[in-house]
Amino acid sequence: MTATDPGTKTEFPSERLTKVSTAMSIDARQGTPPKRSSPWAVFKEMPIFVKLSAVWLILVFGGAIYAKIDQVIFNGALPLQDPNFQTNNFDPSTGEFGTGDPIESPSWSHWLGTDAIARDTFARIVHGGWVSLIVASVAAAFGIIVGGFLGSLVGFIRGRTETIVMSIIDVILAFPALILLLAMVSIFKVRDLFIIAMVIGFLSIPAYTRVSRANSLAISNREFVLAARAIGTKPATILRREIIPNVLPTVLSYAMVAAAFVIVVEGSLSFLGLSVQLPTSTWGNMINQARRDIDLNLLQVVAPSLALVFTVLSLNQVGDWLQKRSAHRASAL
Amino acid sequence: MNKRSFTKLLALLFSFAMIAAACGGDSSDGGEDTTDTTAGDAEETETEDTVAESGTEAEGDVDTEVEATDAVATQGGEIAIGLEAEIVGMRPWEDTCGSPCMNVLPTIYDKLMEATADGGYEGWLLEDISANEDFTVWVGTLRSGVTFHDGSELTAQSVADMFPVQQEGATSAGAISASGLIGVEATGDLEITYTLGQANSAFPAYLSRAPIGMVFEPVSAAADIDAFNENPIGTGPFVFVSRDLDNETIVERNADYWGMDSNGTQLPYLDKISFRPIPDEGTRLDALLSDTTQVMHTLRQGTIRDARAARDEGADIFMFEFQGNNVGGGMFNVLVPPYDDVRVRRGLTQMNSQDNVIEALGGTGISLPGTQWFSPDSPWYSEKVAAAWPEFDFDAGVATLQDYVDDPERSDGKAAGEPIDAELSCPPDPTLIAAMQVLEQTWTASGLVTVELTNYDQQTHINYALGAENGFVGDHTTHCWRVSGDDDPSTFLNQALAPPTAEVAAANGLDGIVSPLNWSNYFDAEVFGSLVAATATDDFDERYALYESVMLKLAEDVPIWFSGHTATALGVRSDVQGLSSWELPNGTLGVGLPNAEGRWSMAWLAAE
Repeated sequence: MTATDPGTKTEFPSERLTKVSTAMSIDARQGTPPKRSSPWAVFKEMPIFVKLSAVWLILVFGGAIYAKIDQVIFNGALPLQDPNFQTNNFDPSTGEFGTGDPIESPSWSHWLGTDAIARDTFARIVHGGWVSLIVASVAAAFGIIVGGFLGSLVGFIRGRTETIVMSIIDVILAFPALILLLAMVSIFKVRDLFIIAMVIGFLSIPAYTRVSRANSLAISNREFVLAARAIGTKPATILRREIIPNVLPTVLSYAMVAAAFVIVVEGSLSFLGLSVQLPTSTWGNMINQARRDIDLNLLQVVAPSLALVFTVLSLNQVGDWLQKRSAHRASAL
Repeated sequence: MNKRSFTKLLALLFSFAMIAAACGGDSSDGGEDTTDTTAGDAEETETEDTVAESGTEAEGDVDTEVEATDAVATQGGEIAIGLEAEIVGMRPWEDTCGSPCMNVLPTIYDKLMEATADGGYEGWLLEDISANEDFTVWVGTLRSGVTFHDGSELTAQSVADMFPVQQEGATSAGAISASGLIGVEATGDLEITYTLGQANSAFPAYLSRAPIGMVFEPVSAAADIDAFNENPIGTGPFVFVSRDLDNETIVERNADYWGMDSNGTQLPYLDKISFRPIPDEGTRLDALLSDTTQVMHTLRQGTIRDARAARDEGADIFMFEFQGNNVGGGMFNVLVPPYDDVRVRRGLTQMNSQDNVIEALGGTGISLPGTQWFSPDSPWYSEKVAAAWPEFDFDAGVATLQDYVDDPERSDGKAAGEPIDAELSCPPDPTLIAAMQVLEQTWTASGLVTVELTNYDQQTHINYALGAENGFVGDHTTHCWRVSGDDDPSTFLNQALAPPTAEVAAANGLDGIVSPLNWSNYFDAEVFGSLVAATATDDFDERYALYESVMLKLAEDVPIWFSGHTATALGVRSDVQGLSSWELPNGTLGVGLPNAEGRWSMAWLAAE
């Protein structure tokens, strides 16, 4: 870069500005930007425990999507039992009561037995994954879009805006999330899955904002951003082209960990009977409903609990690994 | 405040007290029972006969027999009793007193009257009580030689002095209003005269329990109501020692107690009792099984089931069980369309598979299906009503409901053919959640009902039905609820079926008679007339006929649907005796242990 004479304003071609900026953001040591990896390549990179976790997540969420497709598109024609069918209750189609039993032990007909009103526990666990999936996805999307953007923005522009935004975020963070959710659900009588997911998503904004702000602060001081500033690139352009793309991988990998937390929150709400409307199955409400009969059939409590535990554990494992991976790649910038 | 407003306020206060009592425990709570009965030996004989005729033993009805025993009680020892909840307070006139409380307070406070095994009421602190011809004046005589725990003597004036305190009491004011009591006067050293503003042949029932039947030392209570809560003084068999909130309440033997058993042994037998609130049902049962506590109190069928299983597997426990009148199910808000139409109520009730609901509640083999406000063991039970109750018939239910749905003039304003909307709401208790989903499946299967299941916490659930903001109409449509009790029917029916709103009262020429406790808002002038008539006579047959006619009308109009009667139990270590064989001072066999309420002055520990 050539120094200009004092007092002389030089018009630098904007085309070249972009090139300089981009050139500064590649791996300076290796001289090449990190390559994008295919999902399969990423999977192969994973340690064995993380691989198992990823497989579990695919099974759970794949199963949930399958169950939903079965319910909505095929009207229950695919091979999976109706999660709400009480096998001992009156069946208008036959005009008779079913012959099933409540709190049955596992059998070929009911792999994980039946619950207190003779519904298939395996089917309810599979369907319960849908609620977790939706809540986790919506909350993550909400957090990434709103929280991620806010954090990137204030970490970059700093000043009074940062103070105001972070103060608001601190206020939201200070609310005990579960209590706030309980109050909202009780007062507004909200039982819609999407709305509950949105509320949980709203409460996860602060965490995303903090993560993205921390990254944004670090990236804002990197050479390629300083260079872009120095050559007069508009802040909005720097934010869009330099900050957000570099903050995003970290936020995305954090989303996995945050999703685990969100699933636990939804599970707690369900356990308290304040999540989605019954008879929709969720792991939380399954645990809640089965605890009365815990002495008679422990499996009815253990099975949904394990589904919840393994899913949360898997999200944490995969999320942590992705965070480390993205941190490693970021250090290569 | 004018008289009408004051009456309304009293009624409201009483309603809250009743609500809190009925719902203070878990959702399977047996509820608060106001009790009442008729007096007179001749009538009791008739009652006994009628019990034998009208009562029936159904499958699952395994009440512990209430019977006298020849066993000689031993004195001494101490026990710990696990209760389902901490009690609200130690003041019978002020603090709501549900089933756990009715185990604790009678150890400190004697009652004026007590329930007997044959459904009557006889004197406890009162030696006798009698009424004038129209049941508006009741005169009772206290037994002599009774002293309070502070050494002061119990006189008729003590009881009269209790009245002003009770008139101000948070729970007793409502009970005073409901009973019709307007004055208490000491007309002799030991003679008390109760004056009522209206006929009430069942008045003695009000004297058999909190909030107005327990005797407390009135001077201390009036001086400092909060201090009294810390140091309660009664005439009861035990003296208050200490209370560690949510942990333990301890009472010790009253060495100066007046009561004697039939062998002349001074009561109580036990030296000390520790009451421990253990809200978790499983933990409470485990405490009993491990001998940490010697008694377990429960109002839950699932716990009874688990305790039975433990006993059958060899645990050294005994189950004192009781099948009460209190019956679960739900109610329709008959002031809210489409539930103002009997076709809807009847159709939905016919689609209520009671056996499946009871199974979901964990009550199979324990709880009897309800058909009326009285269990088959009750003297008021009617086979005619049981036969009239719309039993499960899915096709008939669909046909009945279809008739409404296809009616172009249907009351909910929807187009003919459209399904009705039902918000089926229960508190978020696992057993109730299971039960409501059984109903939901059959209602939904009809294709005529769009069911929305909701769960709100207990207080929200109650407020939702109370509807204080809309003239006590409420916003509920189909609402989980429990009704009835084991006291005299008038104590709960008269309020539950009185005009629900001022408009309804005015339309029926009953201005000023409004009951917020009419939760379903069902009102029928003939029914209410029968209820009022039943309090103007103490003839059992006449009263029975009146209550039967009321129940028949309810079976026809179905403002309430039923699941099963509430089974309650006291699980005890096998050396705890005397819970089903206790007697009144005159030797009459006591009522036993309805609602898991033990009479601990006559419990004793068998020698090892």
